Amino acid sequence: MATRSLVLGLGNAILGDDAVGLRVARAIADRWGDTEGLTIAEEERGGFALLEQLAGFERALLVDAIKTGAPAGTLHRLGVDSLPTQRTATAHGINLRMALEVGRRSGLALPADDAIAILGIEAGDVLTFAESLSPEVENAIPRAVEAAGRWLRNEEEG
Amino acid sequence: MQRISIDPITRLEGHGKIDIFLNEEGEVANAYFQIPELRGFEVFCVGRPAEDMPNLTDRICGVCPEAHHMAASKALDALWHVDPPPAGKKLRELMYSIFFATDHTTHFYALGAPDFIVGPDAPVAERNILGVIAKVGMDVAGKVLKMRHDGHYLIQMMAARRVQPNWGLPGGVSRGINEEQRKEIEKLGRDAVEFALFSLQAFRDIVLGNKAYVDLILGDIYTHKTYSMGMVDANNKTNFYDGMVRVVDPDGKEFVKYAPKDYLSVLAEHVEPRRYLKFPYLKKVGWKGFVDGKDSGVYKATPLSRLNAADGLATPKAQESYEEFYKTLGGKPVHATLATHWARLVELLYAAERWVELATDPEITSPNFRTLPTETPTEGVGIVEAPRGTLTHHYKTDSRGILTEVNLIVGTTNNYAPIAMSCKRAAEKLIHKGKVTEGLLNMVEMGFRAYDPCFGCATHSLPGQMPMEVRLRGPKGEVLEVLTKNLE
Repeated sequence: MATRSLVLGLGNAILGDDAVGLRVARAIADRWGDTEGLTIAEEERGGFALLEQLAGFERALLVDAIKTGAPAGTLHRLGVDSLPTQRTATAHGINLRMALEVGRRSGLALPADDAIAILGIEAGDVLTFAESLSPEVENAIPRAVEAAGRWLRNEEEG
Repeated sequence: MQRISIDPITRLEGHGKIDIFLNEEGEVANAYFQIPELRGFEVFCVGRPAEDMPNLTDRICGVCPEAHHMAASKALDALWHVDPPPAGKKLRELMYSIFFATDHTTHFYALGAPDFIVGPDAPVAERNILGVIAKVGMDVAGKVLKMRHDGHYLIQMMAARRVQPNWGLPGGVSRGINEEQRKEIEKLGRDAVEFALFSLQAFRDIVLGNKAYVDLILGDIYTHKTYSMGMVDANNKTNFYDGMVRVVDPDGKEFVKYAPKDYLSVLAEHVEPRRYLKFPYLKKVGWKGFVDGKDSGVYKATPLSRLNAADGLATPKAQESYEEFYKTLGGKPVHATLATHWARLVELLYAAERWVELATDPEITSPNFRTLPTETPTEGVGIVEAPRGTLTHHYKTDSRGILTEVNLIVGTTNNYAPIAMSCKRAAEKLIHKGKVTEGLLNMVEMGFRAYDPCFGCATHSLPGQMPMEVRLRGPKGEVLEVLTKNLE
């Protein structure tokens, strides 16, 4: 039986480059949506909402916008304790690490830390309402989908 | 003049900054906080159909989309001059009560409880929800997560989507509930009442049983004798979904009670220089600066101010808690900002009881949950109480219902001036002759957290537990001292 895997696209659909995680998730669904054992979902909130999405899966890939100062469109492969993305950072006192700890203490079945991968896509403007991405971030989507594919193939190879 | 900057250092776009200005003697002259606001929402909305607003505005904020959804739905009622049928109103209030109980739970346990349940002097590494779990008991983690799960599950059941609902329409809602769903909502509502009572008991045992904590709550450091705002029903009891907005003066006497459509005759905005935030104030009192008292138009819109502005709560157990609150804290009104955390728990109980009341209302399963609008849209204002304060949506359209103007006052915005005052009070206490006393960061953060500020509506992302850096600068701008907190 295939491993229960989650690809979770994160973002705000009307906040410019902040939507990139949602867009990447939709592109992944178009390409690998029928893969056995794979669930592709979207989430607009951080904090405990991440926990609720992760529950029940053995491994997960979170895709989200990030601001580090790198050129827009740069891909960052991250883990639970590395640089925060827009939604793995603290939101009202709960970041991803904190949410996972609370979940584990309450007995939730969650992926192990090393089974949670985070793909951060460097965003440009995440403060201006818009339904389109900047060209640099739009151009990053195919590379992000390829990166997600490598993550998926690791599962198949593993 | 010297300036001390407290920067929440974050990799996120949209971090805030606190600037503390010192006079020539090195004493605090003023304190401001500044956050970069999201841009272009009105431009984004103008030209779109007004019916889109419940589903657009609920994306403004990653923390309380349901509040925006509900304020927008009410603004659409006013815009189309249509009154939802009783079942439509009750369904909306039921969903909103579920949301309120869920939201207050998260924010009490994640933000408020660490300061009190764990303790203000506890190591920073323990002052978080994990510290709360360690102190209250392991099973509280499961209880908090159950409350969140139940709330989101029921909101999805009622409103079609788990977080950003797709439900509110001019004149009512898009769908109702059946008897089987009603029973499940009632059952989980009774669980929520038990959870609220458990939370209040934990607060009683751990916080009220400790004189040092009570002294901290009642101490003068965050006490601001401002006006208090909150929505009330026809009996002047708190209501989160509907009613008139009531404002009481610092002595607790009614100052004004206004219908949503009249908000512009009551409120105005003061703009500080240096691109700082806009600060709403009571127009008839006037802007007198960051000062409290009856002559200053500064007001609060928080769980505490809602209790101050009301004559009570409309459910029995919450009313008992309300009475205990004022009896313990020396009568009404209460101006101690840190008491806001307790007020939040009293409201949690009210929301849970109201959830059960509405779930057991015979009309709640009625299929008559929408009145179809027949009039031409013009202009509408919708107001609800968001968990963090009074939320106002104001739209104007052309005769086809296409938006021509949009104005919002979000919950936290109401409290910008009191938050700045709390920052200043903490700074005054802990900075003398240009020297910062250890603990400034904690005190500033505690002041902030009591307001449960949601800058999500403005920045989408300012963390609640802020990484901060304080720079103490000399007269020539040189850095004399650097203090940091929550920096990795």
